[in-house]
Amino acid sequence: MNEELDSQLSAMFDDELAPAECELLARRLSRDEQLKARWGRYAVIGAAIRSERGVLDAALAGRVSAVILAEPALAAAQGARRAPARWWQPLAGAAVAVGVAVGSVLWLRAQAPFTAAPPSAHLTATVSVPAAAVLSAAAAGAADSYVVPRAPAVRAMVPSTELANYVVAHSVFSSPVGRRNLLSAFMASESGTAAEEPPVEPEGNVR
Amino acid sequence: MSADASDLSLVRRVQRGDKGAFDALVLKYQHKLVKLVMRYVRNPAEAEDIAQEAFIKAYRALPQFRGDSAFYTWLYRIAINTAKNAVVSRDRSPIEYDLDRNTEESYDMQGRMKDSETPEGLVLTEEIRSTVNAAIDALPEDLRTAIVLRELEGLSYEEIAAAMACPVGTVRSRIFRAREAIDRRLREVFEGGLGRAEELG
Amino acid sequence: MSASERFIALTLAWTVAGAALAGEASPERTPVGETSPESTPAQKTSLDQAPAHKTSLESAPAQKTSPESAPAQWLERMNRALTTRNYDGTFSHWHGGQVEMLRIIHRVQDGTVSERLASLDGSGREFIRAGPSLTCYLPDKRTVLVEQRPPQESLVGFPAVNDQTASFYDIREVTHTRLNRRSTHVITVSPKDEYRYGYRLWIDDSTAMPLKTQLCDRRGHVIEQIVFASLTLPAHIPDSAFKPDVSTAGFQWLRNESGPPAPAAATLAWNAMRLPPGFRMAARSAQTLPGSADPVDHLVFTDGLASVSVFVEAQRREQADQPAVPESAAVGSSSAFSTVIDGHKITAVGEVPPDTVRFIASQLKAEEPAAVSSRRR
Repeated sequence: MNEELDSQLSAMFDDELAPAECELLARRLSRDEQLKARWGRYAVIGAAIRSERGVLDAALAGRVSAVILAEPALAAAQGARRAPARWWQPLAGAAVAVGVAVGSVLWLRAQAPFTAAPPSAHLTATVSVPAAAVLSAAAAGAADSYVVPRAPAVRAMVPSTELANYVVAHSVFSSPVGRRNLLSAFMASESGTAAEEPPVEPEGNVR
Repeated sequence: MSADASDLSLVRRVQRGDKGAFDALVLKYQHKLVKLVMRYVRNPAEAEDIAQEAFIKAYRALPQFRGDSAFYTWLYRIAINTAKNAVVSRDRSPIEYDLDRNTEESYDMQGRMKDSETPEGLVLTEEIRSTVNAAIDALPEDLRTAIVLRELEGLSYEEIAAAMACPVGTVRSRIFRAREAIDRRLREVFEGGLGRAEELG
Repeated sequence: MSASERFIALTLAWTVAGAALAGEASPERTPVGETSPESTPAQKTSLDQAPAHKTSLESAPAQKTSPESAPAQWLERMNRALTTRNYDGTFSHWHGGQVEMLRIIHRVQDGTVSERLASLDGSGREFIRAGPSLTCYLPDKRTVLVEQRPPQESLVGFPAVNDQTASFYDIREVTHTRLNRRSTHVITVSPKDEYRYGYRLWIDDSTAMPLKTQLCDRRGHVIEQIVFASLTLPAHIPDSAFKPDVSTAGFQWLRNESGPPAPAAATLAWNAMRLPPGFRMAARSAQTLPGSADPVDHLVFTDGLASVSVFVEAQRREQADQPAVPESAAVGSSSAFSTVIDGHKITAVGEVPPDTVRFIASQLKAEEPAAVSSRRR
């Protein structure tokens, strides 16, 4: 760890760094995830010292970050600025562009395909799987009422009904601890995308 | 030292399209914002939602932010307005679990869980606090005084220098070293340092 | 059951790993007293005194000198506690920088398992198990999935720790410490190869409930963590505890109420030609899944701790001319992999590394039924 850099970071955190140095460090901070993590821990230390009575939820920063990633950059005139690679970014970006909605058979987090295809190729691959399979199956099955959600485009990240089926069916055969991990992760899997929905509250949708 | 230069440098980057810089602002202020919002809503989950909404509103409004006031003051106002609107428009009561009503021992638990949802009951979790506190305890006195004056009393480096009768540069170095020492303990806990984390002393 | 056993008030649940790895902070709301920096000595003491409490458990193994089987016995006790006790707890789940609070309620009454797992601050999803019926509420998709399992399955199915397990994992008690003011045995389960994950478990002395669980990769890095913030072990839990909070107006319901089809004895039997070391087939069934009328073969492979399900479905006619594109997915640290073999879609899902599901799925092959029995073990 670069001590001088961290010492600057500490001073910047306290707003005690010269503006010119702030400019340089801000640039670095925005790109360096490790530095950002340290910065975040400095905030935790302060809150701990003050016994701050607030809920400190790591999910908050993560969620905000996920939403912001889906937003247009404020003044992206200088060409696409490369943010650090995160799993949701290429997929969400591609999905927004092409407008893929509900149908992908898989999945929650499409990982890099084994052939190192660029994101566009990957998207094509995803689309090539018949999107209607799940929905048509639903129509054929015994549905009480049938509402096709008008999913926002980012829903391409949402696990499909099919994955949910597999996860649930598999969970019966997992070890108790493994099962709890799996189901918890599945329950939580929406946290990255939930905030990207339009702020209208769908009726009858209670958390 | 120009006030707010630190935040402003991050804000300017966001305004030029660098989203990563906004992460740093969120990381820095999320605790304060949730604490602030907790004045208006008692449910912690709701407070987080509101804080999140405030951050996103702030991001969208950032092109209009000119730096006439400090960034946090500006963010503060957005959060207050968001919280007030949320309270006004809230049309359903918070969800409560009524499952425990039948069991005596659960009454106790229920009571405690409710306590925890009042602002008075909410504090940092004990593990993180005790780690931080134990780390502070272990600091040499000059480092401990410096970090406490900074974080607890909110003094500037200059004020701390006056109080401790030392140069400002020394204050900066002491605070940094204090943070480093505490951060090292935190990371030990974070990184699953088994048997280290639990045996901190 | 003593009062203290029934009522565990835990106070921490700081998902610490999350903050470091994600650069984010996430302590949770917890009822703890006021503490200023000046009061640290007391806290420090309580941490230092970690192993002070000896427990009521007759066979609490002494460190190092204990027989090799003792840590494994703790795993079994824990499994028994998780599957047979009544409990109601709130925990944080950390994975990949995201922290989520969830609530779990578990009850065994008259031999019937009821369970409810609900996301408290994220998706609003809920999973409810009532005996053979598994219901998944997905408000984000405005969908409810209802799956009926065969009733005889109600309490079986999870793998058991045995000698086989011990040859693929190193199971040890590393320390006896205090967590959330409770005495815990810390058991590590380290995989000996890259086909499985490891665990670190903080198991409560008196109840054998895991108060904290870390899932670790081969190198011991924490990749998923669950920490209880509160936990009660009530003698009775009312039925109302298992009602969902989700209002389902306008949701689509997908069911498999027709029940499982007859075992597909006449059709192709699927099996894995090779398996990662230590894995064996533990179960096989034919079933239908909610929302589909087509039968699915469900094979389960396990090494005693980790398990992988493989689902085999005949490709629909309209899919047949689609190129076979393998796909990967992750649910937390669990993995899924889907591919097409001989006109069948093969999907493997399990709480194992991605390579393991890929390995197993790609080894699936249809055989004549007669050939299966000789190969099954």
